Amino acid sequence: MRTLWQRVLAFLRGRRLESDLSAEIEAHLEMQEAEFRERGMDAAAARAAALRDFGGVAQAMEDYRERRGLPWLEALGRDIHYGLRGLRRNPGFTAAAVISLALGIGANTAIFSLFHAVMLRLLPVERPQELVSLYRTGGWSRGFVSYPLYREIAARTDLFSAVFARTGVAKVGFNPRPGGRGQFCQRELVTGNYFQALGVGAAMGRVFTDEDNRVPGGHPVAVIGYDLWRDQFGADPGILGAKILVDEQPLTVIGVAAPGFHGVEVERRAEVWVPAMMAEMQFQNPRNWWILVMARRRPEVSERQVQAAMNVLMAQHLRAIYPTNYNAAFRQRALGQRLEVRDAGIGMSSLREDFGKPLTVLMAAVGLVLLAACANVANLLLARGAARRKETALRMSLGATRSRLVRQSLTECVLLAIGGGALGVALSAWGRRVLLSFLPDRAGDPFSAGPDNAALFFTMAIAAFSLALFGVGPALRSTAVDPAAGLRAGSAGRGGRPVLRRALVAAQVAFSVVLVALAALFGHNLFALRSVDLGFRNDSVIAFSLDFPRRLRSDYDASIRQLAGQLEQLPGVSSVSYGFPGPFLMGTSSASIRVPGSERTAREPADVDTAQIAPRYFETIGTPVLLGREFDSRNLNASRKIAVVNEAFVREFLPGEKHPDSRWLSFDDSKPEGGEPTYIVGVVRDVRHTGIQKPPRPTVYSPPGQGPSRGQPTIVMRTQAPVTALLGPLYRELSKVGRGISFASIGTLRHQVDESIYEQRMLAALGGFFGTLALVLAAVGLYGVVAYGTARRTSEIGIRIALGARRGQVIWMVLRDSLVLVLVGLAAGLPAALAAARAVESVLFGIRSSDPATFAATTAILAAIGIAAALLPARRAAGLEPGRVLRHE
Amino acid sequence: MSTREVNILQGTLDLMVLRTLQTMGPQHGFGLAKRIQQISGGALDLNQGTLYPALLRLEQRGWISSKWGSSEANRKAKFYELTRAGRRQVERETEDWARTVEIMARFLRPAE
Repeated sequence: MRTLWQRVLAFLRGRRLESDLSAEIEAHLEMQEAEFRERGMDAAAARAAALRDFGGVAQAMEDYRERRGLPWLEALGRDIHYGLRGLRRNPGFTAAAVISLALGIGANTAIFSLFHAVMLRLLPVERPQELVSLYRTGGWSRGFVSYPLYREIAARTDLFSAVFARTGVAKVGFNPRPGGRGQFCQRELVTGNYFQALGVGAAMGRVFTDEDNRVPGGHPVAVIGYDLWRDQFGADPGILGAKILVDEQPLTVIGVAAPGFHGVEVERRAEVWVPAMMAEMQFQNPRNWWILVMARRRPEVSERQVQAAMNVLMAQHLRAIYPTNYNAAFRQRALGQRLEVRDAGIGMSSLREDFGKPLTVLMAAVGLVLLAACANVANLLLARGAARRKETALRMSLGATRSRLVRQSLTECVLLAIGGGALGVALSAWGRRVLLSFLPDRAGDPFSAGPDNAALFFTMAIAAFSLALFGVGPALRSTAVDPAAGLRAGSAGRGGRPVLRRALVAAQVAFSVVLVALAALFGHNLFALRSVDLGFRNDSVIAFSLDFPRRLRSDYDASIRQLAGQLEQLPGVSSVSYGFPGPFLMGTSSASIRVPGSERTAREPADVDTAQIAPRYFETIGTPVLLGREFDSRNLNASRKIAVVNEAFVREFLPGEKHPDSRWLSFDDSKPEGGEPTYIVGVVRDVRHTGIQKPPRPTVYSPPGQGPSRGQPTIVMRTQAPVTALLGPLYRELSKVGRGISFASIGTLRHQVDESIYEQRMLAALGGFFGTLALVLAAVGLYGVVAYGTARRTSEIGIRIALGARRGQVIWMVLRDSLVLVLVGLAAGLPAALAAARAVESVLFGIRSSDPATFAATTAILAAIGIAAALLPARRAAGLEPGRVLRHE
Repeated sequence: MSTREVNILQGTLDLMVLRTLQTMGPQHGFGLAKRIQQISGGALDLNQGTLYPALLRLEQRGWISSKWGSSEANRKAKFYELTRAGRRQVERETEDWARTVEIMARFLRPAE
C-alpha cells in the first residue's frame, strides 16, 4: 500500500525525479572516476572504468524507472497518445463515430432522465416502498375522496401504520413579506400527520403535528420548503415566526422542511405546506371530493389484502351516502366507484397515469437507436480494420503481440466512447429541454432540480455497454491477421465476404424497421387526431379562466359582464363571450333531465352535460348554429327559460325530429312529462368539450344564471392578436373591474387542443426523430457494405461486362445485394414492430396497432432506402470500362 | 561473468545495504557500493548500477530515507540513512538469515 502510494507520488512528480536520478548517478560516476584518477589513470580511462564498473547506465535507469512510477499507466498514456493521433489523422471516421455515439447516448440519457423521474425514482422519505395511495376511480374528479371517507380509511389501523391526506399541489398567490411584491408559490394543504407519516423532519423549527389540524380555519401556520427558504429568504434563521401571505391567507412560518423534500408529486414540487383545516371546504360533506389519501401499509399486510378491505369499505360507504332516492342511472354510476390501492413509493405522477406505457416503449425504442449507432460504429471500425490489414500485419511481424494491438485498438474505442458520451451528455441537456417543451403546463417539471446522478450513471453505463458492443468485436477481428498472408495480399486486403459487416447492417435495418414503423404509426395517429372536427375553430380564439378574490367569489356575474364589454373594445378583438365551463377541457357539469315526448326519458330521467354560456358564445368560438339561433342579449328574459342543444342531444332524445327548436325539456326530472319547461331555441354542431378522443355527449347550453350549476368562468375572445400582445391590455382592463382578479391558463384554443394531445405529439415527434436517425444510420451502413462488396468484385464485374452483360443486369446485381439485406432486416424487424405497436395501443386513436398503411409505408421506405444506398455503387459498377479494369489486374 | 564470483541472491542485497547503513551511518550510493565490495572481499560481483533500484525499493518500503548533502570531497550527493522501521527490519532479517544459514548448514553437513 505504502509502496503504491509512493509510486503514485513518483508518477506525479516524474520530471523532477528524473533529473534527480541523473544527478545521483552522475555523482556516483564522478566519485568513482576521481578514485581511479588518484590511482593514476588518465581522465578518459578513469571515465571508461567507472562506467564499466557501474554496468550499463541506461539499463540501471530503466530498472529504476520501472520500480519508481506506474509503468502500466505510462504505457496507457502512450496508448492514449497514439490513439488520439490515429483519430486526428482520420477526422471523417472520428466525426462519424463520435456523432453516431453521441446521438445514441444523448437520446438515451434524455429519455432515461424522464423515465427515471416518472417511473423509477423513489421519494426521499422513510421506507418509501411501504407507501400506497388510495385512488378513487370510476366517478368524477379521479383520485380525490371526501373528508369523511378519509376519516374512515384512517380508522383502519389494522392495515395501515399511518394514513394521511393532502389536496394536491397547486400554484397560488404568494407574498414572502406582507406588503411586498406578489408572486406565486406551489402550495399543498396537508393533514397534521403528513410529515411524520412520511418520516420527513424539519431542517429548522418543527413540522406539523395532529395538533396543527384540529379546527376548520383555526391553524394559520405553514411549513416552507428548504429551497424556498434558501432562495426567497436567503436561508435566514429569523424566518421562524415570520408572517407570509399564501393565497391571501396570512400564515406564520413554524418550520422549514428537510432539504431535498419536495412533497410526493413527481412533476409538481410543493414549496409551502398548510394544514388541511385551512381549506375552505365542507369537511362533513361526504359527496365533496377534494382530498387525496396516502397511507403507509403495515409490512405484514399484503397489498392484495389492503385492496380487498378497501373494496368492502368503499362499497359500504357509497351505499350509505347514495340512498335509493337518487336517480337510477346516476346512482349506478356512483356505486361503481372504487378505491384503488396503488404503490406510491415513487411518488404520485399524472404523467405516469396517462403516459407510463408509451414512455416505456419510447425507452425501448431509444435503446434501439443506441444499438443502431453501435452497429454503425462497429461497421466503421471493421471497415477501417480491413483497410489497415497490411499495417497490422507489418506491426505483428515486427514483434507486436496481438494482446498489445488489441489493447491499443480498445484504447482508441474508449476514446471514442468518452467523446461520444461527453457530447451525448451535452445533447441530452438539449433533449431534456425539448421533452419539457412538449409536456403540458399542468405537468410541471418532472426533472430533478439538482444534478441527476442516476442519469449520469446511466450514461456512463451505456457508454461502457456500447463500447463493449462496438469495440471488442472489431478489435479482435482486425487483429486476427496472419502477418505473412497479410503482407502478401496487397493493400486492398481482400478478406472473405464480410459476413460480420453484412449481419450488422441487416440488424441496423431491423432496428430501423421497428423505429420507422413506430414513427409512421404515431404520425398516422396524430393525423387522425388532428382531423377530428372539434366543433369549434381553434385558431385565433383565446381562452382563459378567471380567478376572483375571496370577497368577489360569491357573485361575479356583473364583473364578468363588465370585463367582457371592456375587452370587446380592445383593438383587434372582434368578439368576446364567456361560459361556465369553457369550450375545451375546462371541466364538465351535468344534470338530470326529462324531455317530454322522448322515448329516452319516458321511464327514467337521463344525464346530460350542461354549460352556461353568454350571448355570442358560439359566434366567438366559431361553432356553426345549425338550426334556430344562439342567445342574444336582447331576448334574454328571466321568466321564459330557454336553451340551446347540440346534435348529440337531438340524436339521443329527439331522433328524426325536423324542428327540435319547437320542443322543450325540463330540469325537473321527478315525473316523465317534466316540470317547468326550458324551451329549445337552437341546435349547434357538437363540440368536443371533454377532449378530442371523447365522443360528444348530449349537452344543454343555458344562458348565464339560468342553469342548475356552474363551474369556473372562462372568457373566450376572437382576435388575430398574439397572446403576448394582449397580456398588457388584459391586466389593465382587469384592474379597472376590480382589485385582485387574476387570470389563469391563458392561451389560444389551438394551444389547449395541442396540450391535450401532448403525448401523441411527443410520440410522433420523437418517433419521427428516432426513425429518421435509424434510417440514416441504416443507409450509411448499407452504402458502406454494398460499396465495399462492389469494389471487391470489380474485376468480376469487368469480366461480366466484357462477356456481354447489359448495364441493367449489372445494376440489378448490385441492387440485389442491398435489397437482400433489407429483406432480411424486414423479416426480423416487422414482427418486432408489430409487438411494439401492440404495446402502444392505448395511445392510438382511430387506428389499430396493425394499421396496414403504417406497415406498408414502412416497407416501402426501407426498400427505397435500400435502393438509394445501392444506387451510387451500382452506377459506378455499370460504368466500368472492362478493358481498364482487366489491365489494372 | 566469472563463475568464481558469487551472484547476489535475490533479497540479500537489501540486507547488505541495510546492515551497511546500520554500521556506517548515512552514506551515499557510491560509498555503499564500495563498502559492500570491500566487506565481501571482492568475492561479490556487484553490478553497481543494480544498487540504485534496490535503494529505491527500500525507500518505498520506508526502511531508509534519503536527502541531498555534500560528500567528503565537497561534492553534491544523495545520502541514505536507516529509518526506525529499517532498524527493526535489520534485526528481523538478521534473525531470519541466521536461521536459514543454520538450516542449510545441517543439510550440507558432511554425511556421517
